[in-house]
Amino acid sequence: MNDSESSPLRDQIAALPREFPPARDLWPEIQAQMQRLDPNTLSQVEPSALKSTRSTFRRYRLPLAIAAVLSLAAGLHWLRPAASGPSWAVSPLAGEPRVDRAILTGPAQLREGGWLETNSTSRARLTVGAIGEVSVEPNSRLRLINTSSTNHRLQLVRGTMHAMIWAPPRLFFVETPSATAIDLGCAYTLTVDDHGASVLEVTSGYVALEHGGRESIIPSGLMCITRPGAGPGTPFAVTASTEFRQAIDRFDAGDAAALSAVITKAGRDDAITLWHLLTRVSAATRGTVFDKLAALQPAPSGVTREGIVQGDAAMRSRWGEELGLSVGIAARP
Amino acid sequence: MTALCQHEPLLLNRPVVDADDESALIRRACQRDQQAFAQLYHRHVGRVHALCRRMAADIPHAEELTQAVFVKLWEKLGLFRGESTFGTWLHRLTVNTVLTDFRSTRRREARVFGTDDPAALETPSSPASAGLRLDLEQAISGLPPRARVIFVLHDVEGYTHEEIAALLELQTGTTKAQLHRARQLLQEALR
Repeated sequence: MNDSESSPLRDQIAALPREFPPARDLWPEIQAQMQRLDPNTLSQVEPSALKSTRSTFRRYRLPLAIAAVLSLAAGLHWLRPAASGPSWAVSPLAGEPRVDRAILTGPAQLREGGWLETNSTSRARLTVGAIGEVSVEPNSRLRLINTSSTNHRLQLVRGTMHAMIWAPPRLFFVETPSATAIDLGCAYTLTVDDHGASVLEVTSGYVALEHGGRESIIPSGLMCITRPGAGPGTPFAVTASTEFRQAIDRFDAGDAAALSAVITKAGRDDAITLWHLLTRVSAATRGTVFDKLAALQPAPSGVTREGIVQGDAAMRSRWGEELGLSVGIAARP
Repeated sequence: MTALCQHEPLLLNRPVVDADDESALIRRACQRDQQAFAQLYHRHVGRVHALCRRMAADIPHAEELTQAVFVKLWEKLGLFRGESTFGTWLHRLTVNTVLTDFRSTRRREARVFGTDDPAALETPSSPASAGLRLDLEQAISGLPPRARVIFVLHDVEGYTHEEIAALLELQTGTTKAQLHRARQLLQEALR
């Protein structure tokens, strides 16, 4: 490169981001194609039904289509009589995890009410019936509360688990001291610390967090920090700046003054964060959140500033659907 | 375990979860562990997609290419011998996948190796989206296809002319000329 002529260009090239994620979640389509290659590694789904199509609404249609197909496959499986009592297969991945205090040396069963514990060097994997897998990281303690065709429920007391679920929404639940994580399809990582606080990061699909009538919907690429007694935190993008995260953290901890920092620092990737704030701020400040959100993601037709300020739930849901949260909103009971 | 409560500043700065190291994930993925593969995907999708986006200059096509890269990775992961880093290996796989795709159909072949129309810069084919450095990204997107691929591989990704020439089955003189032209067009577009 001619330095005298191209140095500014070279500087700009050097400043280009080395990575940026796709605007939509590609994992479900990749997973469907993987299954076409390895039909035995996932539940039996007709892969041709999962082929992507280009359309304006494909971002929303595909996850729903996948969920519908997987629901059918899972439903057919559940219609078969159970071969044994309610339990999940558990196997050691490293070290010596324990099931009900007994060292796990090979494949075994975790029965309802049973505890799985890992120490600093052990890991384990659970097979969640026919609907998914959970891997349990070191220093974790969890219990299988119950498992049935309509409700698979774990309690994560402390530690970290990675869940990958291919079931219809709201069939797999993980209770933590701070909130209940409700699977809406796909994959996430959940950590609970010794104080009961949790960190949820969704890597594919959607997860809802609920506690005390408060709910957060966390899609792929977002995370959420929740403290005991405070209800689900406000989700934010995993790529959010430290300043933005800190402002959210202060706001969730009750510092209403942090809202101005949240709004000031919110960027294009923070629309879902602002959408959650619509129900977490006072009516007096809701208009400010509306203005910022509308600047990032124009309000859909029929959604007005006045309606949002007055707390119109239908308008808020409609805007959430526009933001890609239709799976979480539609899956509400 | 580190406490997450009480505004611990570290929480906001550190990774949420200490994931498996990459070699362990690769080993598990080689054994057809989809969860491990999903973690590899989430670690690398941003880098793969960035490369596909810049080479393809078309968002839907870049998404299709990104998918194709990871499906191919699922097929070929067993061939990874650790002779380079996984990231480097995946990068090569991405470039090869994109170039193979470009060659595979006449439509895409025309997109990459068609007439180098300087007017393309005046009408960028695909505006950059969220969060990108719009001017330069748009200008790269608007480069004539062959010049764009050579520019991205050389100036952005650090390939040598010899490597690019081998990949594209061209002479190094041609790649140098195309690169020179791409830089000129970019500088004009960015004035």
